[in-house]
Amino acid sequence: MAADTHLEKETEQVQDIWNGGTEPMKASYGKLMMWYFILSDAFTFASFLIMYAALRVSSEVWPDPNAVFNSFPFLHGTKLPLGFVTVMTFILILSSVFVVRAVQEGHRMNQKGVLLWMFLGILGGLGFLGCQAWEWNHLIHQGMTFTSNPFGHYTVPEVVDGQTVDVFKGYVNLVHDHETGEFNLPADGKDNKGNVIPENATKHTGTYLFGCLFFFITGFHGFHVTTGVLLNIMIWIQSARGVYQRSGNYEMVEKVGLYWHFVDLVWVFVFLAFYLL
Amino acid sequence: MAAGHNDNAAYEKQKRAVWVATIIMGVVTIAEVAIALNWPESWGRGVLNLLFILMSAVKAVFIVGEFMHLRYEMRAMMISFLAPCLFLLWFLIAFMMEGQSWLALREFWN
Repeated sequence: MAADTHLEKETEQVQDIWNGGTEPMKASYGKLMMWYFILSDAFTFASFLIMYAALRVSSEVWPDPNAVFNSFPFLHGTKLPLGFVTVMTFILILSSVFVVRAVQEGHRMNQKGVLLWMFLGILGGLGFLGCQAWEWNHLIHQGMTFTSNPFGHYTVPEVVDGQTVDVFKGYVNLVHDHETGEFNLPADGKDNKGNVIPENATKHTGTYLFGCLFFFITGFHGFHVTTGVLLNIMIWIQSARGVYQRSGNYEMVEKVGLYWHFVDLVWVFVFLAFYLL
Repeated sequence: MAAGHNDNAAYEKQKRAVWVATIIMGVVTIAEVAIALNWPESWGRGVLNLLFILMSAVKAVFIVGEFMHLRYEMRAMMISFLAPCLFLLWFLIAFMMEGQSWLALREFWN
């Protein structure tokens, strides 16, 4: 009789473990699985960025980011290198912080706090997407496609060791002719540094792969941001309906928060690869 | 829910940690852009790129450690998520070497 009860108790304990009763590494099943998903997603993004690195290393010339990303909305003609992308980075970091605050309020079972901070986090995500849409639109307008872009350079023939070779002289942002689709030298005849381009110079359009890699990688990141915003909105609605208040914990906010921070983390590396290096 | 005194103190502490992390990340981002725009060309790209990578690493540590809370999880959990990422280091080095080889080959055939 005593042995039976013992066995019964043990079976119950084992079943409890298999039903997620014991939390491995003191984190719930859902949280761990979100972490494993993030790890696999990190490898996907890393593969893209490492491919970018390989292709960039294999190119003789690469567009200068300070000359590519130098426009700001509503400020035509003013050149603000990296200005707009800094704003975008801040928006995304702040959005991440707002979601951390939502998670913290969730630990205190403060529904109003969760709703407020999550709302701000969603606004930040939408703001970032809006900025990205503007940036893409601007680059496409300048003539950037998957295979061509205006962020080129020019070479001048020079005699080196008795042979005439084209020597790289400087970067120049070409002007896209929307009717012919051609890329022309700027009307003032000056390169990005303000030096006059000599008559015998040959213009070259930007590195073939630049647009493809930019659109693909920032696009894949943007897709993640979009998904994150949708998840955040779902969480916000569930919180507003009091679902988590009733179930006694706000762990869903934490899990989706993890994904949202990961999107921010990826942006740090996209920012590094495309805008800084 | 009646939050105890200790809970409240821990909450305030966590709240402060997050805002401190935010400010540090903001300063690092501004510094990155400021350095990118003011770096003298004669100093070369090598040191500059190394600086950028280190500064991005600082930001990554704050996001993963503070925002994603990994710093406060069990050591086993930290290792199980961070150790696989070490493979990426070799992945990166191998493909950069591969890229250099592509460049050399292209120059050779030209």
